[in-house]
Amino acid sequence: MSQANNYDVCVVGSGPGGYVCAIKCAQLGLKTVIVEKEKMGGVCLNVGCIPSKAMISAAQFLHRAQHDASDMGIEIQGDIVVNLPKLKKWKDSVCDRMSMGVNQLLKGNKVDIIIGEADFFSEQEVEVKSSKGKEKIKAKNIVIATGSRPIEIPGFKIDEKSVLSSTGALDLEQLPKKMITIGGGYIGLEISTYLCKLGVEVEVLEAGPAMLSGVVDKDCVKVIERKLKKLGVKVHLNAFAKSVSKKGKSTEVVAEIKGKKETLIADKVLLTVGRKANSDQMNFKKAKVNIDSNGFIAIDKQCRTSNNKIFAIGDIAGQPMLAHKASHEGVLVAEVIHGANRVYDVKGVPAVIFTDPEIASMGMTEEECKQAGYEKLKVGKFPFAANGKAVSLMETDGFIKIIADHKTNVILGVHIVGPEASNLISEAALAVEMGATLEDLALTIHPHPTLGEAMMEAAEATLGHAIHMINRPIR
Amino acid sequence: MLVVNLPDLGEGVTEGEMVKWLVNIGDNITADQPVAEIMTDKATVEVPSPFSGKVIEFKAQEGDIVPIETALLTLEGDESQAHGIKSNNCEPAGSTVDSQAVNAEAASTNSVSRSIGNNEAGALITPPVAGQRVLASPSTRKLAREKNIDINQLNGTGPVGRVTRDDVLGSGVPGAGATTSNTPVAKLAIPDFKSQGGALEEREPIRGIRRKIVAAMQLSKQVIPHFTLMDEAVVTQLVETRMQMKVAAEEYGVKVTYLPLVMKALIATCKKYPMLNASIDDNANEIVYKKYFNLGFAADTPNGLVVPVIKNADQKTILQISAEINELAIKAREGKLAPADLKDATITVTNIGTIGGTYATPIINHPQVAILGMYKMVNKPVWKEDKFVPEKVMNFTITADHRLIDGAVAARFLSDFLAKIESPSKMLLEMV
Repeated sequence: MSQANNYDVCVVGSGPGGYVCAIKCAQLGLKTVIVEKEKMGGVCLNVGCIPSKAMISAAQFLHRAQHDASDMGIEIQGDIVVNLPKLKKWKDSVCDRMSMGVNQLLKGNKVDIIIGEADFFSEQEVEVKSSKGKEKIKAKNIVIATGSRPIEIPGFKIDEKSVLSSTGALDLEQLPKKMITIGGGYIGLEISTYLCKLGVEVEVLEAGPAMLSGVVDKDCVKVIERKLKKLGVKVHLNAFAKSVSKKGKSTEVVAEIKGKKETLIADKVLLTVGRKANSDQMNFKKAKVNIDSNGFIAIDKQCRTSNNKIFAIGDIAGQPMLAHKASHEGVLVAEVIHGANRVYDVKGVPAVIFTDPEIASMGMTEEECKQAGYEKLKVGKFPFAANGKAVSLMETDGFIKIIADHKTNVILGVHIVGPEASNLISEAALAVEMGATLEDLALTIHPHPTLGEAMMEAAEATLGHAIHMINRPIR
Repeated sequence: MLVVNLPDLGEGVTEGEMVKWLVNIGDNITADQPVAEIMTDKATVEVPSPFSGKVIEFKAQEGDIVPIETALLTLEGDESQAHGIKSNNCEPAGSTVDSQAVNAEAASTNSVSRSIGNNEAGALITPPVAGQRVLASPSTRKLAREKNIDINQLNGTGPVGRVTRDDVLGSGVPGAGATTSNTPVAKLAIPDFKSQGGALEEREPIRGIRRKIVAAMQLSKQVIPHFTLMDEAVVTQLVETRMQMKVAAEEYGVKVTYLPLVMKALIATCKKYPMLNASIDDNANEIVYKKYFNLGFAADTPNGLVVPVIKNADQKTILQISAEINELAIKAREGKLAPADLKDATITVTNIGTIGGTYATPIINHPQVAILGMYKMVNKPVWKEDKFVPEKVMNFTITADHRLIDGAVAARFLSDFLAKIESPSKMLLEMV
């Protein structure tokens, strides 16, 4: 620790927002320090995005070996056994590798790193409590990137033993026989899906009338519903969890499902009812940083808070609570601090859900388009069942849907459910940001045989003349 | 290292021409000391340094076009000066009388620059963030911000109205009084000039006022369909009236020319034909009829043509207008006009007469829609009733924007105007 004072930038939090911001600041020549209270890489690298994708990948591997291999003439003789401790070790090694990578990048860019918990001491100083004691860090600019944490509901205290959050679920040493998931949002469904594939019996309680409601195009949700049923995951809608209690080695949940009281018993309960910004930490009042009515730090289009020397990025600064939004803001803030007149002006943030099949979207849904004033839309859908690569992968569930302005054919939204949706959506993100039209997408040659060419066909379908399907009149 | 930037200079100004350094490398300067002369919209302002220190490096050269908010020079000095945003008050070179007005303008626009303060909704971020309906690639959006151009105001010329790089680079072209027009002027494919080279040609870079004039004239002629109507007026009575006024004004120490009388006649006629005192807002597809009368008058300076403006000339007496004309003409000749002196004219008068010429076809100052020309006064025999009578005669032209003003309208306008010129007493009777 060289200079504890007079940094150009102090970044608090080393998740995808914080570490990216710190690296960019350093690249721009600003004297930067980053403070992290747990592990480098934050939630994303250690107990969020990365470990969950590792588990999902393992579960999918197992699932295909069990279900699809023999169709392809690959006969596995004997039982396929899941060694969970070894799987956990591998998952941890993935996280460690990413976390080490972040460390190396920060050190390589000469960013000072302090492991400790930061609180605001004054408007320009944070006080960090670490194993070495207390120290004050003074910086011309401070970037808050302390993220979010799982929401706890009254009566459902997360002990990571009987009542798990996503963190505990990702770290299981032993597979429970049965698990109840409270909350049918994307985190709950991702974990429920992969645990089910690993051999856990899962029941999901969703309080709303639909899964993934408000987040995803309704047609995409239907595909997921069918697959969950096929996998054997029981989903209850309009289901409110009322209380949880330990009954010996089991856990008992009392719920009101469609108005009726029911008692469910399981080994463990997973509570995934959302995440809340960590805006109640760090003593923000001392730094005159205002929090808005939704619990996020209030920021302007340059991510500045009510104190113009303090910035906030990522989950703590608002929706969407996504790692790539945080990283984009991290780079933006570094440039703004350096003097650029940059603003957050993206046309949209792509979103990806790693259910089975994957869901990905960029831009607006049909309802959102109507609300934004687009009266007439062109909507087209191309099914993966008509795509050669998907058939050869034995992954034919799903489609690509494109929504465009009827008058100009400008692409307003793309919604994909199906194999590799998470990788296909980046093309849509570019198209929407550039204001591309359906013709731009349809007239670009896409390679064959790939999943990507379904994007080109979907654009053709939206124009009313896809080659590889019978076109119904466009709506 | 402390960096001195060219600060935000005012509404619509995105760049300035670096005219002259006022300090040398190695000089120790104090905060607020002027360091450079920058020309914008034909007015030259002095840029002060917000910091004290020693001049280390010039970041621009004389003759460069410098975008606002970019570095002019660097200083070595106490770094703590760089905390907080200082407001640079730019003063017009050498003027003291108008500095207050300019200071107020500069101070208010500086508070609009990136110092956001206790703001949550980002209302002070300029230019405004690209709206949802703007179609522009991320790199084009970035370019617009770097040029301090509000991308929401541009008419994209790309497919389905997409804003292209050329749209961004071609907009914000400064012109005399042209602060709001963003009609992207079509790029002309001008063939290369075939140079003979050698000693028979002397090349001079187009800079300063000439540069502004080039841009303004091209814009005007590309956008406005011009037509000119000419007629001659018997000004014998005008000459007499003016002579009497000239003598009376000597008491006030004010020189009276024909121009204030012409301006009054012009205003009175415009009140009857409001389409001559208007603008076309291309972006909104609307005609803007103006209820205020700011009269521009063309002034020749050693550096070229400038058009100072008499604001609210309808509310000033002939004496007041005369005094202002004199003042502005002197400032124009000395190159000391402030940007505010050149802005917001609603109609212009040009007088070549004192130099020579019976009539001409002047170019309208976009976004105005008309320009009145007055020419040489000559003695001429005029047929009156049954014989020729010697009279003083002067030609006038009205050049108008044919999108808004039809031939017949222009003809009636000119006829009405000349009736007032020919009979100043009658004009005085009707004057408010």
